[in-house]
Formats: sequence, C-alpha cells, structure tokens
Amino acid sequence: MRVVARLKNFMEIEKLINLGVDVFLVDTPLAVKQINGELFSDLDKIITYEKEVYLLINKMIHETDLEMLEMILNKANNDKITGIVCGDMTVMVMAKKLGLENKIIYQPGTMNTSSFDNEYFHRKAIKGITISKEITLEEITNIFKNKVTEISLIGHGYLDMFYSKRGLLSNYFIYKGVDYNNIKNNDKFRLKEEMRPDSLYPIFEDDGGTHIFRDKALESFNELDVLKQYLDDFFVERIFIDDQEYYDSLLAYKTSTYMNEFLDKYKDKYNKGFYYQYTEKIKGELNEN
Amino acid sequence: MRTELLAPAGNLEKAKIALIYGADAVYIGGKQFSLRARASNFDLETIKELVDFAHDLNKKVYITMNIVFHDDDIQGLDEYLLYLDSINVDAIICSSMIVIERAKILSNLEIHLSTQFSVTNSLLTNYFYDEGIKRVVLARELSLLEIEKVKENSKADLEIFIHGGMCVSYSGRCTLSNYTVLRDANRGGCAHTCRWLYDLYEDGILLSDNHDFQMSSKDLQATDYVQDLLRIGVSSLKIEGRMKSIHYIATVVSAYRMLIDDYYNNSLRDMSFYQNEINKAENRQTSYGFFAGDTTIEQQLYNQRSEVPTKEFVGIVKEYDNNSKTLYLEQRNYFSPGDTLEVFTPNKNIVQFKVEKIFDEENNELDAARHPLQTVVVKLPVSVPKYSIIRRVKDE
Repeated sequence: MRVVARLKNFMEIEKLINLGVDVFLVDTPLAVKQINGELFSDLDKIITYEKEVYLLINKMIHETDLEMLEMILNKANNDKITGIVCGDMTVMVMAKKLGLENKIIYQPGTMNTSSFDNEYFHRKAIKGITISKEITLEEITNIFKNKVTEISLIGHGYLDMFYSKRGLLSNYFIYKGVDYNNIKNNDKFRLKEEMRPDSLYPIFEDDGGTHIFRDKALESFNELDVLKQYLDDFFVERIFIDDQEYYDSLLAYKTSTYMNEFLDKYKDKYNKGFYYQYTEKIKGELNEN
Repeated sequence: MRTELLAPAGNLEKAKIALIYGADAVYIGGKQFSLRARASNFDLETIKELVDFAHDLNKKVYITMNIVFHDDDIQGLDEYLLYLDSINVDAIICSSMIVIERAKILSNLEIHLSTQFSVTNSLLTNYFYDEGIKRVVLARELSLLEIEKVKENSKADLEIFIHGGMCVSYSGRCTLSNYTVLRDANRGGCAHTCRWLYDLYEDGILLSDNHDFQMSSKDLQATDYVQDLLRIGVSSLKIEGRMKSIHYIATVVSAYRMLIDDYYNNSLRDMSFYQNEINKAENRQTSYGFFAGDTTIEQQLYNQRSEVPTKEFVGIVKEYDNNSKTLYLEQRNYFSPGDTLEVFTPNKNIVQFKVEKIFDEENNELDAARHPLQTVVVKLPVSVPKYSIIRRVKDE
C-alpha cells in the first residue's frame, strides 16, 4: 500500500519522504480545494525526486475546460507521473484518447460504492478507483473481496460532503451588502447549523465553486491493518490541517507506536466517518428544518 | 423532431394528469431503485397500467432507477429490468454503471443517464452514447451557451431541466444528509440539509445574523429560455417535482405545453402570459438557475424558510352529470359556500363559478368541504371533463 500525501511546497519534500510518503499528489489548474496551485508549474522539478507523482484533477469538467484538460494530460505523459486522480469521468475519456488511461484513478467521491464499479473500471483498463467516502468498513471489505483493479481510499483528513458550482460565500456577502475581501481560498470559514451548535463545518470557496466538509476529520489508525491488505493507495488529506499536525499524522501511520500519542494530542478533531455507521436509504421521522 | 415535454409524477393520478394536460412523457419511480422510492405507490401492476394508459395516448413513460447502488441494493435488479422491458417501458433513467450494464445485457430498454451523474460536457455525452446510452440528462449547472456547445458536439440526445427544485450542489456529489442525519442522499434519503439555517464564522468570529446564512436555491423557472432550447434542438425539456401536487403538475405542464406549441406555431405570446399561468400553482420562489451563467444572489433564498404552501388548489373533478348539472369532485383543500372557484380543464379552458351549496354523496348539505379526499357535490351549469383541476380564486 502506497501512502499518498498532498504536496504543499518543495521544502517539505525530504520531510515527507522520511515520514513514509510514497506518492506526492500535486494540484493542477483543474484541481479544486487546492493546497498549492502554484506547484504545477514546477512539475518538472518535482519529478526529479525519486518518488511517484500523481496529478489532481478533481474539478467538474465543463466544455470550456476541455482544452486545459488536454494540456494538463499532455504534461502527464511522463514516466515519473504514475497517476491522474480525477473526480469527473471526462478525464478518463480524454486520457484514453491520449493513451494515458492506465494512469487514471477515478475518485468521484460519491459514485464508487459497489463491487461492480471496480469491475466496470477494470474493463476500461484504468489504474484504479477510489472507494466513495460514505460507505461502511464492512461494505469496503466486501468490495475488496471482488477486487480486480487497484483500489484506493481517502483514509485521513477532512472529507468534503458537498460540491457546488455556486459561489455561496461570495453571494452571501453581496446579499449582506458587505465588501468582504479574502473570500476565495480562505480556509478559515466555518458553518454552524442552528440545531447542531457543537458542530462547525468547514466551508471553502474557490474558482470551482463551494465545498463543505465534515466537522471532524477522518482517521483510520485501527482500521489500517485491514485496509492495507487490499488497498493500493491510502490518501492522506491535509486541507484545514496545519503542517505539524499533518506531519504527525503521517508519522502515526508509519509508526504504529506513535498512533496513541497522536490521538491523545488531536483526538477531539477526529472521528471514524462512516466506517461503522450505516446510512439509511429511506426517509424517517427526523427533526428536519 | 419536436422537442419533448417531460413531466414528473409521484403516483398514477399525477401521471395521468400530466399526460392529459400536455406532457409528451412522464417519469416515475417504482418502489425499488429510485430516489423517490419511499414516496412511490408505483408497484409493478401500476407501472403497467400507466404504460398502457400512456401508449394509448401515443405518449411515453420513463422509469427512474437513479440511486447510487451499493452491493446490498442489487438484489432484484435483473428481475425488475426484465419486467420493465416486458411491459414496454419506453426508457429507464439511471446513474449507476451496474444498471446500465445489466440493462444492456438483459433487455432492449432504452437507457437515459440521470442528472445524478452531473454530465457537463460533450466528451462525456459522447462516451456514454458509445456505451449504449441514448439520452443524457445534463447537469443543471450548465448555461445556455454551454448547452448549445454541448449540443453541437454531442451524439447523444440531450434532456434539459427547465422547471422545479434544484440541488444546490452538483447532483450526486452531496453527502450532507448522510453525515448530518445518517440518511443517504444518493439512495433516496436526502433530508434537504442544504435548506437548513446556518451561521457563518471566520476564525471563530460570527459573521452572520440570526442564522441567515442559507444555501437554499430558488426553484428553476426557464420560460425565458425555452425558445432558445427549442431552437438549439434539445430532445427533451424536463419538469422536476415528483412530490408536487396534481394542481402543480397540471398547471405547470399546461403552461409549458402552450409555450412549446406556440413556438412551433409561430404564435408566441408575451412570456408574462406563461409565467402568470405557472404562478397560479407555484409555491416557491423561482429564478433561471444557471441559464445566464454563474448564479448570483438572484438565484438564492436568504433569511427565510424556503417553502410557502399554496392553498388555492381545492379539488379534482371525478365526474360531471349533464342531466342534473352536478359536479362531483374530490376535495383536497378547504372551501365553503360563497367561495369563487375556477375549473381548469385539460384543454386549457377555464370556468369560474360561485359555490352556492355543498353536499356529500348522500345528499347531506355541508357547511364546508373540510375533509381531504372526500367526494363532495356542487352545482355547475357547464359541463367539465374528468381530471379537471379546481382552484379557489383568491380575493383581491
């Protein structure tokens, strides 16, 4: 199992390697929720390190993005770039035209929920799929049993639960008549729902739209032994996490003896996501606003 | 080929109303595999009854199977597809690969890709066309210019939403409901968490006032864009709202039917005419979504609960007795003697009358029609057809 980390800058490359990172995930101009969009222009330098590099293309691809997409994929035609992580199947289609489909990791967030999804994309000869974020550990292990292509998981960090094309923060400040600077790419905004005063949900606006995240980050320390038997890539997310905490999390996955120390230090920020929590298919009598 | 008008229906009655009032096709969800499965009363026999009803009118029925499948959802899928094929359903609307692939193997069903997949470009419409999908329902995030560009380059037929509720996120890309109330938004459990009230903070400092940060979207109303969509030549114009009332369905379908027919007959009226017709049933604020480009505050709802129920709709005609000039109607909302009612017929005629007396079926006089689904009787000198909608004319 490869540990995939999002790269923030050059200075940390050696540190990440020492922390057990196998793959650097680099933002592209068609990445949303970016960590550092500038890095793409230095791709040639990044690939000089003896580590695999994945490119992140997780924006929904509109007609006007197709030209840019082709340009980015042409940059991926390099042996050092071994993966193209995408949220929209359009990227897979374009990659196939360019003979790059074997680098595609399809990571739509919500759509890869069954064993058949793995089978379908195996037929498309792509590198692999990332299992969706809203399914249980039991469901994940069931998909593992039928594994035919590479499978990955975002196993750590703040996972988004909403992707809108609308500029919801920008529009809100216009509605309020407030001339607010520093809206886009500002990771300090949080939402609090009126009936859930103890939960603060990160909300983030960028050129791709608005993203809302879980109030707690996901951690997979106790599940790692099960997961790594089958996973090919384990993604460690870092948006809304400061650099030291991110490095600490990588160390905890690398060195199991550090796991308890990490949890003692940060436990209030983390939970188990949907690993042990099945979600209902049907509507019930709940407190809806 | 003329562009189709496609309407939603949450039950058999609504489906028949939609077809009678001018829809070329209806889409429904059965009791399995649909995002509206919980609310559906379309068992297999009822689906067949509707298909036969629609085909008698030379119209179509599409079945939604648009949940995102987990492994435990697959049981019964093959049998369901085989049944739908056997009763000549006109198409299925789906978003999971397993439905697409099983339908291709087992049946001759036409396959449409749901907006749950949020397709936003022609490269992907063409991919799915080559995969055997006849029609793609485009994401609601596309502008008119983008739709035109996709249409120019697309081999697949295109279906475009023109009216009704909108997910504020890209459809199929939201798990707000999963996380906040443990209900799977992509398997029919959406709790509309995006319509709740929120406060906004930056670095711990409250920026909003009294929960006035809202994400709720105004409903879509695209009358101003229908001419362009017809000119572009998209295959289908789709109305959202399987949970809406028959009054809403009849009114909205009828208005868009007139608009489409008037376009093809070179007899378009001012758009305010069609918009005023729609407003007779609309109970939510509307705007034009993404048709003009990225949304602004014009498309959002702020500082208010998003739904205001209408009370205009009072009943539906069950029967008219020409001999006794008596109207039998099924009550849906309160009305009483002295109210002015309006009968809105499937052929777009409108008859107004004042209620003198109300009786039950045993000829007992009532002080008001106050019980939903009760059959009540009123006098009306003019014959009106079954399925006509009756609504109260509001006092000025």
